[in-house]
Amino acid sequence: MVSFMEVIDRALKGPFCSEKDFDLKVFVPRLKEVIKKYEIKYDPENPIPSDNDLADRVFKAGVEFYTNVGTYCVDTERIIRFTQEEIEEALVMAPSAPVFGEGKEAKALVARKPESDIPPWCFLGATGAIVSCGEIFLSLIQGYGLIPLANSITTPTIATLNGILIRAGSPLEILSGIRTVTLAREGLRRAGRPGLPIMNSISVGSDTAKIAGSQFGLRPSDGWLIGSMAEMKINFERLNEIAYVLSLGGRVVAETSPMLGGYCGGPEGVAVTNAAYHIQSILVYRGACQDSFPIHSKYSCSTGRNTLWAISVSNQAISRNSHFPLFTIPIIASGPMTEMHFCETAAQVITCIVSGGSIEAGSAAKNVLIDHITPMEPLWASEVAHAVIGMKRTEANEIVNRLLPKYENNLDNPPKGKKYQECYDIKTLEPSRECIELYRRTKKEFAGYGLKFKY
Amino acid sequence: MKKEEIFEDLLRAVVDLDWEKGKRAAVKLIEEKINPIEGVENGLSKGMKIIGEKFDKSEIYLPEMIMAADVFGSVMEILKPHISAESLDRVKRGTVVIGTVKGDIHAIGKDIVAMLLETAGFTVYNLGVDVATSTFIKEARKVKADIIGLSSLLTTTMPSQKDVIDILRETGERDKYTILIGGAPTSQDWADEIGADGYGEKAERAVSLALELVAKKIIA
Repeated sequence: MVSFMEVIDRALKGPFCSEKDFDLKVFVPRLKEVIKKYEIKYDPENPIPSDNDLADRVFKAGVEFYTNVGTYCVDTERIIRFTQEEIEEALVMAPSAPVFGEGKEAKALVARKPESDIPPWCFLGATGAIVSCGEIFLSLIQGYGLIPLANSITTPTIATLNGILIRAGSPLEILSGIRTVTLAREGLRRAGRPGLPIMNSISVGSDTAKIAGSQFGLRPSDGWLIGSMAEMKINFERLNEIAYVLSLGGRVVAETSPMLGGYCGGPEGVAVTNAAYHIQSILVYRGACQDSFPIHSKYSCSTGRNTLWAISVSNQAISRNSHFPLFTIPIIASGPMTEMHFCETAAQVITCIVSGGSIEAGSAAKNVLIDHITPMEPLWASEVAHAVIGMKRTEANEIVNRLLPKYENNLDNPPKGKKYQECYDIKTLEPSRECIELYRRTKKEFAGYGLKFKY
Repeated sequence: MKKEEIFEDLLRAVVDLDWEKGKRAAVKLIEEKINPIEGVENGLSKGMKIIGEKFDKSEIYLPEMIMAADVFGSVMEILKPHISAESLDRVKRGTVVIGTVKGDIHAIGKDIVAMLLETAGFTVYNLGVDVATSTFIKEARKVKADIIGLSSLLTTTMPSQKDVIDILRETGERDKYTILIGGAPTSQDWADEIGADGYGEKAERAVSLALELVAKKIIA
């Protein structure tokens, strides 16, 4: 496979192009060309299509698109391009079963296929949502560690240190990175699962803060989440992080976020771009897996009908044609402990799982309301994920088509739900009676839809 | 050719993203000695309004909005020499300087807002991402902005929105500009706390807010 040094060299010597020209004269027209050539068409009636040929066409379109477009390095204003042969080689040589975690929690992350019997990897927690202080952070991590089906955790972001709002590029960011790692490790130790991998650390912006924070307890067996710049871009800061993680023998979780309504256009463009991001994740971001969250520009969530279709089709495209593991991150519009949240999460998780992916789940309130997350959202996501293992896409499509009308008209103005401290005793980690009853009632209702819960 | 037909061609040029049609219609407008401002108001601007509506209904997306704005801008370049400065001011809603604040490299949401502001008739200076606090202020002074738009997608870059407002206060220029903030982690509470004039939770809201605030400023 093309080496990382070669990637750096291409970032320095590739074809020169202004960023605007890359967006409008390279990315947009090439995407439209492959959508037309491969006859990719959104079908709102079937958010989870069962069309293998469509999935394979989307993957071919993604490969061709990425071959023609490449990844733009914003610092050098040059394009990192690969030949089709290099891309084919990368797909063969990509990691297939990276091991994350320590001791009894160490486990291989295995790629799945559509309708697969292989249990999904449940990467659970806050998906980077914001919490007000370290006390809430620690309590939540402990709660995530207690979720029986958790294979790894995703931490929140702390908004303040000693009451001071954390600021990008400042010493506060470095201290926050250190606090994130130390509290996360302590929370997992308190949960009795010290070996459980943290796969999104560290949820702060700069390369300096991430690298500094990692010195305080992050292990090579954790996941180092490095987010791609939308669309199809990278900068030196990210390349710096990759250089550090690779030298350490760590594993990059390559995060990608094609935006519906942005330069990708509609759902067809998001599906193809997501497939192209899969290749970028292997070659440029040097990932151990792809962690994708297609998102709608207007609703800032991923649970709308057209976004679900894009996720299903691209998950099927990727999982049918690659052994490189894939996660999808459901970004949920509604807040914790609302009926809408349970519906949105179920619709998205079912879509991801039957289409061949695993999940990074636990998001609520679009990840923007402070303290609006609890351990119950990732618990629900993991139970739903395991309840649809082996389910046929046609059956899943019917279920999601029953769920969508329950919430899709409310994505513009979803209920905010409650804060963690309003739902749980943060010291004992006991949820309120009201929350427990809502959970039990919902689980019973969803069993009626055909979900086979493990317990 | 009737002037209504020329206006329709200008409108269609924007909606159909057809620069050649726009150029032909603009030349015809000048040859027929029709007031170019009428062409802007009854053709180009109406086309941009339709583009904004189509985006709102998810019939088109960001690339088409940018292309429509390019057609609008290119046709305006042909018409401008034939329009008096006073008349040009009449068709402008106001001038906006917009960017993603220092330390933050998220672009697309801010680009969508910038494009929607253009479709609503504002003159927009999009400064890009990771924009230094002083650059916002220098550019706003240079282009005599009515509005400064500050985008932040990270909790850690929200303080940079406050920096711009604080420095404008310190230099005694705060009242010269209407300041709008936006971005996923921001809120009305945050806008109130830092003394911004408005907060747009969604791109469409940012535009209506800009129109309301500029109208208020004119009345005041």
